[in-house]
Amino acid sequence: MRAQKARFGKKFNVSWFWAILFLSLFAAIAVGCALLILHNAFCWFFFGLSAIPAMWLYYMHSEISKVRAGKTDDINDILSREIMANLPKNPTPHDLANTVFETRSGRFLSARYGITTVMLDFIVSNFEMTTEDIFVKAREVREATDSAQISGSVLAVAIITLVPKYEDLLKKMKLELQDLYDGVLWFNYLNNLLKSINAPAHTGGLARDLMFGWTPLLSRFATNVSQQFEARGSINASVKIHQEVVAKMVDFFSKGGRQNVALIGPDGCGRSTVVNDFAETIVNAANKIDGNLKYRQVFKLDSSALIGAASGRGEIENLMTAILNEVLDAKNIILWLENAQLFFEEGVGSVDISNLLTPVLEGGRVRLILTMDQQRFLEISARNSALANALNKIMIEPASEHETMQIMQDRVVVFEGQHNVYYTIWALKEAYRLSERYIHDLVMPGRAINLLEAAASQASNGRVDENSVQRAIEATYGVKLQASQNTEERERLLNLEQHIHERMIGQDSAVRAVSDALRRSAAGVRNENRPIGTFLFLGPTGVGKTELAKSISDVYFGGEGQIVRIDLNEYVEAKDVQRLIADGASDEMSLTAQVMKHPFSVVLLDEIEKAHPLVLTTLLQLLDEGILRDVRNHEVSFRDAIIVATSNAGANQIRDYIDQGLTAAQIKEPLTNELIKNGDFKPEFLNRFDEICIFEPLSKEALTQIVQLIIASVNKTLEPRKITVSVAPDAIPILVDHGYDPKLGARPMRRIVQKTVENIMAKLVLKGEIDSGANVEITADMIQEQLG
Amino acid sequence: MLALDLLQWWYFQGWSRFANSLIAKIKGTFEFFSVGLLLRTLFTPYKQLSAEDHSGKTDPASIAGAAFDNLLSRFIGFFVRVGIIIISIITVCFEAIFGFILIVLWPAVPLLPVIGLLASMTGVVIGIFN
Repeated sequence: MRAQKARFGKKFNVSWFWAILFLSLFAAIAVGCALLILHNAFCWFFFGLSAIPAMWLYYMHSEISKVRAGKTDDINDILSREIMANLPKNPTPHDLANTVFETRSGRFLSARYGITTVMLDFIVSNFEMTTEDIFVKAREVREATDSAQISGSVLAVAIITLVPKYEDLLKKMKLELQDLYDGVLWFNYLNNLLKSINAPAHTGGLARDLMFGWTPLLSRFATNVSQQFEARGSINASVKIHQEVVAKMVDFFSKGGRQNVALIGPDGCGRSTVVNDFAETIVNAANKIDGNLKYRQVFKLDSSALIGAASGRGEIENLMTAILNEVLDAKNIILWLENAQLFFEEGVGSVDISNLLTPVLEGGRVRLILTMDQQRFLEISARNSALANALNKIMIEPASEHETMQIMQDRVVVFEGQHNVYYTIWALKEAYRLSERYIHDLVMPGRAINLLEAAASQASNGRVDENSVQRAIEATYGVKLQASQNTEERERLLNLEQHIHERMIGQDSAVRAVSDALRRSAAGVRNENRPIGTFLFLGPTGVGKTELAKSISDVYFGGEGQIVRIDLNEYVEAKDVQRLIADGASDEMSLTAQVMKHPFSVVLLDEIEKAHPLVLTTLLQLLDEGILRDVRNHEVSFRDAIIVATSNAGANQIRDYIDQGLTAAQIKEPLTNELIKNGDFKPEFLNRFDEICIFEPLSKEALTQIVQLIIASVNKTLEPRKITVSVAPDAIPILVDHGYDPKLGARPMRRIVQKTVENIMAKLVLKGEIDSGANVEITADMIQEQLG
Repeated sequence: MLALDLLQWWYFQGWSRFANSLIAKIKGTFEFFSVGLLLRTLFTPYKQLSAEDHSGKTDPASIAGAAFDNLLSRFIGFFVRVGIIIISIITVCFEAIFGFILIVLWPAVPLLPVIGLLASMTGVVIGIFN
């Protein structure tokens, strides 16, 4: 009978049928009335006849449109109305698979988890399963997810789990069985939320506020948080950590004693959400709470409006006193001071009225909620212990992964409405993963939620998936997450050495090592809990160590600007460690501050052998785990940076080894041993690097190529004037001879080119001897003349 | 088949569901008018408007004035509350009476077309209006 009702409902629970019923009802009554006026006895027949559409209307409304679950465990009693309505009498597995997407929960799973009709159809066609098998499995899924009925999503999960190696199938979709169960729970949660929003609210009725006082001044400077719940019902996910805190708050305010609560936790942990949950809890009479707390209204004080309305501290104190008196007299107000530190310290947008508030908090008559950051609370406690002691403190911890996922599932509904998009499960997972990695100024769940909202603007065809989240992070933090998905980028990565050699000459082994690290990173096969790569470049001056770092920055990280350069010869004392890890607010050029701003960059630690041993010890964790803590103990991630340390230590030995005919690969081991033996570096420090790259002194051939590169850069400078310059083949050896110094490497080369080629060109331009489009060849004589 | 189910439902689940919804509606009306709250606070001052705290004052005139103010506020509060309670009781009475009549007549509703037909054919009832 349930099935029959469901099918009937599917056919007739439509507006035209309702219209017919209503019209029949009114027509019968109208005709009855007309006949009554005409004194015709048949009026009674029509009045009686109106009972038929009236009964049908009530039946449709109360029974057909709902088709409640039956009382037995029979499959006909536990299948959802939507499934029943769409199934034929003796359904086949195909019918079941197709019915899934006729249901709201099935479509929900399809949109968010990518489980399509084609997929389910393929499963039932290619794997042996009967209708009975599916129902048995569906019962198990229903029990595991504590679902009231077998809905479309339950059926979909049942069909998938009947595949012999369904784990492999799910793996291809980057899913696990638990994800599907969570999907069923997610839909159930939203469905219940919808029901609770539509359910009548128990907020005290129209005469409730007659019991309480006027609050004209408070209404001017504060917002009634409770009001939104009276209008909309529950809108927040109830996660365990928040429920526990709300229970503690209810406990504090129900008992005697100081009527205040200070919610303390890092930014993003959900302090405001907890206050909203609390406001929602106490305004709803359906919740079992103490009578003296029932129907209390939470008002959030607008500190900026308050400070803006008063000209001085005295006036603010007067205003605050008046507000507190109103709160006390009204008898139903709980005042919420968001960012409470603004009332306890002097500064821009804040004013210290602790002299006024401390006695109020100690007295405990005015009900207050204070929310503030952990660090600020510690600072205030250090200054004003009486205030800290007067507070009932509740610490809020950051949410776990499971809790964050739950909160995100709750919040996406709001974002979907606001941005007209829909989120997939992969978007949520990616938001958690990437926010944990890149967003450090907030904790969970705040950082994941922020990223999730930002991803809405990166939706493609209204769908927010993991790519949208990656694009959002790329746009915000400048990191490169989707490199391997772009053909051009893939080609560039595969030929990275070639691109680097367009900028620098030689040092093939170092170039290869760095390129390999970048490819591993782009392909996602590296350890993500370490930097992209950590390299120690050893070699004499002017052989291309810094140039290689700049080339990587240019070729892979999007420009030479993406380089964070720290000259460690400026960190030769133990106290310099503080400068290295200084907070961004006090020193924007510290290593941690720069990397926090540019996490996707090359970190160049120049002349590392000159740094104080304590500085090197500080860097150990960075090299090992890609994490460095700043002076405020904030984690700074170096996991998207490539770390390049350069050193001239062992330069003479390298020259000697090369003169003996050894290659860079052969030099590495004896050189490392010597550096340890000489006390230049400790073994534990050298072991932290992925690779130690030996930079050989430059050969004459390499120097010739360097000259060509420098001339190419001169031509680039002259490009706007449409003038080109070239150096005659017999002139190049002269430049090489004068530009190479065994102690300085190729470093003087640019100066020599400047002194000769650039000076010659400058004179020619000024004399008007060359015009646009000219091609000037610099001869050996011209160079000799210029060099004197 | 479905028509038979409708009849069966009408005399069992439908009837009890209607009775339950009537009870819920009456409860809802009481809550809408905050009757419970009004009764609990029947004598408290209207909108918590009362004279300032006069404990510790010795001036008989100011004590008397404050007491009068408080008494007045309580009187106003009492009358406003009683007024709302009376309105709510009238509303609930209407609901209850109308609902009770429907519950009593409920079993006869499916028979109304037949009853109407009989009444029409006999023409008895129309005679009342003639």
